[in-house]
Amino acid sequence: MSETIIKAENISKLYKLGVAGSGSLYQSLGMGLKSLLKGRTNSASQKDFWALKDINFEIKEGEVVGIVGRNGAGKSTLLKVMSRITKPSTGKIELMGRIASLLEVGTGFHPELTGRENIFLNGSILGMSRVEIRQKFDEIVDFSGIAEFLDTPVKRYSSGMYVRLAFAVAAHLESEILVIDEVLAVGDMEFQKKCLGKMNNVAKSGRTVLFVSHNMGAVKTLCNKGFYLKNGTILMQGHIDDVVDLYLEQSRVSEKIYESGAVSKILTYQDGANIILELDYNCEQELKLPNLGFVLNDRDGNPIMGLNPMMQPNLTEKKGLYPKKGKVRLNISSPKLLDGVYTFSIWFGDKSGNFFWENDCVSIEIIAMTDIIQMYRPAQVGYVVPDCNFEFS
Amino acid sequence: MKKIIIEPRSNPFKINFSELYSYRELLSALAYRDLRVRYAQTFIGFLWAFMNPIFSLLILTFVFGIVAKVNLSPGYNGQEIPHLLYTIVGLAGWTYFSEVFAQAGSSIISAQQMVQKIYFPRLVIPLSKAITGLVDLAVNFILITILLIIFGYKPSPNIVFLPLFITIAVLSGLAAGIWMSALTIRYRDFQYITPMLLRIGMFITPISYPSAAVPEQYRMFFYLNPITGIVEGLRWCILGGEALNPYTYISFVIIIILLLLGVLYFNKVEKIMPDII
Repeated sequence: MSETIIKAENISKLYKLGVAGSGSLYQSLGMGLKSLLKGRTNSASQKDFWALKDINFEIKEGEVVGIVGRNGAGKSTLLKVMSRITKPSTGKIELMGRIASLLEVGTGFHPELTGRENIFLNGSILGMSRVEIRQKFDEIVDFSGIAEFLDTPVKRYSSGMYVRLAFAVAAHLESEILVIDEVLAVGDMEFQKKCLGKMNNVAKSGRTVLFVSHNMGAVKTLCNKGFYLKNGTILMQGHIDDVVDLYLEQSRVSEKIYESGAVSKILTYQDGANIILELDYNCEQELKLPNLGFVLNDRDGNPIMGLNPMMQPNLTEKKGLYPKKGKVRLNISSPKLLDGVYTFSIWFGDKSGNFFWENDCVSIEIIAMTDIIQMYRPAQVGYVVPDCNFEFS
Repeated sequence: MKKIIIEPRSNPFKINFSELYSYRELLSALAYRDLRVRYAQTFIGFLWAFMNPIFSLLILTFVFGIVAKVNLSPGYNGQEIPHLLYTIVGLAGWTYFSEVFAQAGSSIISAQQMVQKIYFPRLVIPLSKAITGLVDLAVNFILITILLIIFGYKPSPNIVFLPLFITIAVLSGLAAGIWMSALTIRYRDFQYITPMLLRIGMFITPISYPSAAVPEQYRMFFYLNPITGIVEGLRWCILGGEALNPYTYISFVIIIILLLLGVLYFNKVEKIMPDII
C-alpha cells in the first residue's frame, strides 16, 4: 500500500463577518494599543462564520481526489488552507512533499512583459527555479502554441492566447502534490482537450492531485476518490462515483419556509430534465385563482424565462372559488439549461391582486440537465441549450 | 522528501530564513519585473530615472542655497562645498529611503491577486522594492560622481566607510518598507498617511541644510528621524568636514530596532493577510 501523503486533522476555518476583516485604524486605536499590536479587532458587530469545520482526511500517494459541493460549501477555502495561502483556525495538516496550487492560471502575469519574460516570472511565482523553467521552456512554448508571439508583450495577446500561455506554464509545474481549482474552463475546444489530456497524464503519472470542479464529467473521468463538502464539513468521502451520485441527488432540492403570510412554503428541485416548483399557500379568503407567476434568473439576476397562468390562452379554471389553503405544483418541462445556479423570483396572488412577491427567493443548482458536452460556460454561449439538428452533406 | 506542517499559529518570533532564501529567485524576478515595466512605452525611457533627482536637486539648491542662503561649513581639507554637491549627497540617502517607503507601502495591495492565489513568503514583496530602489540609489551616485568631477572636489578619505553607510541606508529602506507594507494592508489609512509623512520627512531631513542650523534644544528630536543619520553619514564619507554628531549613532540604533520590530509585525500580519486584503 502506498504512503499517506496528506493528513488533515480537525481543520476548521473561521471568518468574521460584519467587518471587511481589516478594521480601520480608528477602531484599533479605540480598542487600545493592545489590539493594534495583536493585529486584530474584536467588535460586537462581528458574526462568526465557519467556512470549514472539523475536516479530517487522509490522502495516499497517487490518489486523485475530486472535491465536489455547492458554491459556498468550503471547497475553495479548503484548497486555500491546503496550499498555505490562508491559515486554518484550528487543526493541523501534514504534507509530505512540495505542494503546487493552480487556483487560477496567469497569476502574476504582467501585461507589459513579453510572453518569454512572463514565463519566467510566472514560473518563479509558482515556485519553479530558473533552471527548471529553462529546462521546460521549449515544452511550455510548444504546449501553448504561441511560439511566434514570444517576444510580444502579453497585453497585445488575444484572451485565448493569454490563457493558453498561462495554463502551459502552470501545467509544467513539478511537485508531489498538485491542487487544481476549475482551470478547465479556459481556451477553445482544441485547447481544452489538450488540457484535459495533460491533466490525465498528471493524474496517471502517480502524482497526488486535488481537483475542484463543477464539471461532474471531468471529475468522474479524472478522479478515483471524492470528497463531498457541504456547509464546511465533509459529508462523504469515498469512491468518486458514489460521491458524485450523492451530490447530484442532494443538490437538486431547494426549499424555503415562511412563518407568516399567504405563502407558507416554496420548494424547487430538478427532476431529470424538468424543474419542479411547488408552492404551499394559506390565505385569508378563498381565491378566484391561485395565481403563481415565476421568473427564472441567472446568478447575476438577469431573467431567463418566466410565466404565469393568466398568460396561457387555454387555461382551464375551476368553477367557483378555490379553498383558502392549498398547493400549486408547476412542472417546467425540459427547459434545457446549462449547469449552474439559477434563482426563482416568485409572485403569488389572485386575479384581483398580489399577496406575495419576492425576488430570488429560492435557488436551484442545475446539474446535467441535458446530455450535451458542456464545453463552454453559460456566460459564453447563453443558458439554454437549443434543440438542433445539424445536417451535413 | 520535505515535510510541511500547516498549523493555525506559529511562533511570531520564528522567522523562516531558509524558506525566504529558497525564494530568492522570485525576489529577483519581481524586482526585474518592476524595473522592466517602470518606463515601458515612455519616450525618453530610462532617462526618467535621472530626471526626478535632477529636478529635486535644482529646486532644493534654489530654496536653501540661493533663497535662504544657508551657511555650509567647509569640507575635507578645508575645501568649500558647492551647494549643489552638498544637496545631491543628502538627496541620495533620502531618495532611496523615500522610494522604498512609498513603493513598499502599496506593494502588497497591488500584489493582492498573487497573495490570494499562491503561497510564498509574503516578505518577498516589500523586499523586492528595496532591491528596485537600489537602481535609484545608483543613479544618485552617478550624479554625485559627475558633480564631484565638475566642481573638481576631492573626496574625503572617509569614503572607505561608504559601504557601511550604504548598508545602513538599505536597512532603513527595508525597515520602512516592511512596516509600511504590513500597516497599509492592515489599515488602509496608511495609503493617505504615507505621502504626508514623506512630505514632512523631506523637510525635517537635512538634505540641503546642515543639522547645525537646527537650534540646540530641538537637536535631540531632530536625530530621532533615522534618515538624518544616514544623510549626514553619507555626506561625511564623501565630502568630509566636521566629525559626525554622536546623535547620529542613535539614528542607527533606531533603524535596527525598527527593522527587527517590523519583521515581527509583518510576521504577525502575514498570517491573516489573505483574509483581510
